[in-house]
Parts: sequence; C-alpha cells; structure tokens
Amino acid sequence: MISTGRARTFWVKVLIITLLFPVAYLLMLSLATQWIFPSVLPASLTLDRWSTLLGASNLFGSLLLSLGIALSVATISTFAGFFSSKHLAYHPQRSLWIRLSYFPFVLSPVIYAAVLYFYFIKLDLAGSFVGVILGQLLIAYPYSVILFSGFWSERIQQIEKLTQTLGGSRWQIYRRVLLPMAQGLLLVCFFQTFLISWFEYGLTTIIGVGKVQTLTLKVFQYINEANFYNAALASSLLVLPPIILLFFNRKYLFRQRW
Amino acid sequence: MVTPLKAEHISKSYGSEQVLDDLHLQLYSGETLSILGRSGCGKTTLLKILAGLEPADQGKVLVNDIDIQSLSPQAREVVYLYQEALLFPHLNVFENIAFGLRLRNRSEEEIKEHTLTMIDRLGLNGMNEKMPHQLSGGQQQRVSFGRALITNPSVLLLDEPFGSLDADTRSNMQQFFKNIAKQFDITAIFVTHNVKEAMLMGNRIATLANGSLSVFDSIDAFINSSNNVVQEEIAFWESVQARRSN
Repeated sequence: MISTGRARTFWVKVLIITLLFPVAYLLMLSLATQWIFPSVLPASLTLDRWSTLLGASNLFGSLLLSLGIALSVATISTFAGFFSSKHLAYHPQRSLWIRLSYFPFVLSPVIYAAVLYFYFIKLDLAGSFVGVILGQLLIAYPYSVILFSGFWSERIQQIEKLTQTLGGSRWQIYRRVLLPMAQGLLLVCFFQTFLISWFEYGLTTIIGVGKVQTLTLKVFQYINEANFYNAALASSLLVLPPIILLFFNRKYLFRQRW
Repeated sequence: MVTPLKAEHISKSYGSEQVLDDLHLQLYSGETLSILGRSGCGKTTLLKILAGLEPADQGKVLVNDIDIQSLSPQAREVVYLYQEALLFPHLNVFENIAFGLRLRNRSEEEIKEHTLTMIDRLGLNGMNEKMPHQLSGGQQQRVSFGRALITNPSVLLLDEPFGSLDADTRSNMQQFFKNIAKQFDITAIFVTHNVKEAMLMGNRIATLANGSLSVFDSIDAFINSSNNVVQEEIAFWESVQARRSN
C-alpha cells in the first residue's frame, strides 16, 4: 500500500514537472542575456528585454489587443450561443441546424476565412479589430452552439414551464433558473472560446491582413526571424493569461455539481 | 359562490387528430377531480391548456369566474406539476420551497416565516439545507408540493405526480396528498391512468376518451356506471377469486 502511494506521488510530481517545464523554460529564455549550448543554465539573467520589448516593439499593445479580442469573442459567443442554442434545440429541424454548426470546423478555419475574405473586404472589415472579432466569432460561436445544444433537454423545458406556472417571468426564469443551472457549462464555454480566440493564427492572419497584430501573430513573427529570446518573451506573455484564468476559475471549472 | 376553475367548449387537434372535442369542465372549491384516461388520450394536453402552456383551438378557461384565456401562465394562479418533482438542482430544500415567494419579491422575514411553516407542515424538518439529489423520491415530491402551495394557487394541476414512485412510496404520497389537500383546502385536478388511484384521490371522477370528458357526480356514480374501467377491474378481481376457489 505504502509503495503504491509513493509511486503515485512520484508520478504526480513527474507529471507536474513535465507540464511546468516548458513554461519555466520559456520564462528563463526570455530573461537570459545569452544561453548557448552546451550550458545547462543561462550565463546571466536580466529584465532589460522585458522592459525594452514592452515599450519599443509594442508587445504590450499586442497583449492588450489580444485580450480585447479574446474577451469580446468569448463573451459574445458564450451568451449568443447559450440563447440561440435554445431555439435551435427546440426547433423541428434541430438536427439540420446542429449539423450546420459543424460546417466551419469541417472546412478548417483558414480555408473558411479565405472563402469569406471577399465579404470582409466588401464590408470594409478586413484588417480591422471588429473584423477579426467577427472572423473569430465564425468559429467560436458554432462551437458554443454545439456545446450548449446538449443542455436544452425535455427536462429543462419542463422546468421552464413549471417555473412559468409558479409565477416566473421570462427574465426571472433565465436569472433564477436557467443561468444558474448552466453556470458550469457557461464557464467552460467562456474559457474554451477564450482559448480558441487567444491562440487563433490562420484566420486572424487572413482577416487581419497583418494590420491586427495579436500576440500569437507576434510569436510567429519572432520565430520566423529566428529571434528566440523575443519569441520566448512573447510566448511567456501568451501562456500567462490562460494560466491565470484557469487558476482563478479552477474551483468553478472543476467543481462537482448536482 | 366563486367557481375556482371552469372550462367551456375546449377543443384541440393536432393535424387531423382531434384530441379534445368541445370539452366542458367545472371544479368546485376545495375538491379534487380525478381525470382517468389511457396514455395519449389528451389528459396532459387538457392540463396544459388550463395552465396556459398550450393554446386551445377554441373555448375559454375561467379561474375564479375571470376569463384567463388571454393571460400568460405566470398570471393565471394555476400551478402545473409534472410526474417528476423537477426540483431546482442548484437550490436547497428551503430555497426550492421559497422560490415562488422570491419571484414575488416578498420580504426576507416573510419568506423565512412562510417557508419554515411550510417545511414543518410538510414534515420536512431538519432538511432545510439538503440539496435535491440528497432526497428520496417521496421527499422530493413533498418539496415540489410545498413549492407550489406556498404561492397559494387557485388551482393545482397534477399530471400523474406519483407515476415515477415505487408502490410503497406511492401509497404514502397518496395519503400525504389527501392530508395536505384537506389541510390547505386545495382545489385540484389529479390526472392518472390508475383506477384505484383515481378513486382514492378524487372527490369526483371524470374519464377522458375520444376527446370527450365524462364527469361523474360521485365515486358511487362512477362505480355503478356501465362501460367503464371499474367494471374491468371488478371483473379481473372476480376472475382471480374464482380461480382461487377452484
């Protein structure tokens, strides 16, 4: 029993180290003045790159831009998906609508963006902040609809009707019954759609026309330039918000519900 | 004297199938009317029309002599209870029962006082903090009744409320309903396909078949009527008795 417990503890530690190592490595690379093979550790560490890059190459601006886009996409797609999936779920042609929701994923986001690019130019949305949000919503929104379509069951419909006869208005039903019951799913959807937007590259490149420089685009730019130290810095910024989001929401995301 | 519920000329069809055909119904204060019918005969449709959850093709519904046909379900003072208790899974027993009062924005003191009294009368003392998944089927049904009764509805519509319970719990809940119906002076329609349950729960009985409702003035009138399910039930037990004698 003791040996089994110790073995489990050992493997848990190995797993944690394996997961944390890439993040720690990126952070150290972004702080290194010089780190040349075969040195195990960098010669010295400095905060200069962080302070210079945040100012000079507008990485902080990209961080804020990415946050703005990801938060907008996550909020809009989560709530729009929640409300519209209800109508789809109870629609006589339910299965057809749900099948259509898979369309952007079957086509691949990059091809999807290339196909729709013409309309973005016509609407003067190519290369704009709103255009990129709209483009990413074309992926995040169907994902949200698919995720919520399982929530709307006959039981939920019965609970809704029962609440009506108990005296609940449409708004009260949402506020006091449906939203609390879907709380866990809403959080998962928000988190997932945030990540979809946050790490989105292909679609953002096409719709953004290089004018909307999100953090993910910056990372690829530095990698293409073989600028590992700057790429490590941008990557550190890139992985930080999802980790913070996960850390603060862990008790809601992983909590056991009714 | 005010009539708690009256339905006149109610008709409803789905496509070519006529489910309810020019149906009339009247409920007296404090009585429970059992409606007996086979599965799919339109019992649930009738209740949903009365509750405003489904529109009738024609006819009108009056609650306390007021035409409520144009009113939304939340304004009708008619509570519809499903076969399952359908408690809110995110709320504990206290909050489930207090739900209707919160919808009506009652004060905290009033909510506390009324809810605790209801919990006591339902025999659920000590369970205030329990979540629905921690309750037995019978306890869940009690909470469901409490949640409906606390809103003081004019009429309760019960759609086979004990259908999902085991035989023992069902028997206990039938007795429980008889007690609270008397205690709270409930006016209700109790829908079931079980003859014994219909006779046990109702002050009067009605049968629904082929879209028509036949209301019997008393249980005796129902038993003595020809061509009804009671005769089948009696015949069944007589055949069992005969077989045992042989």
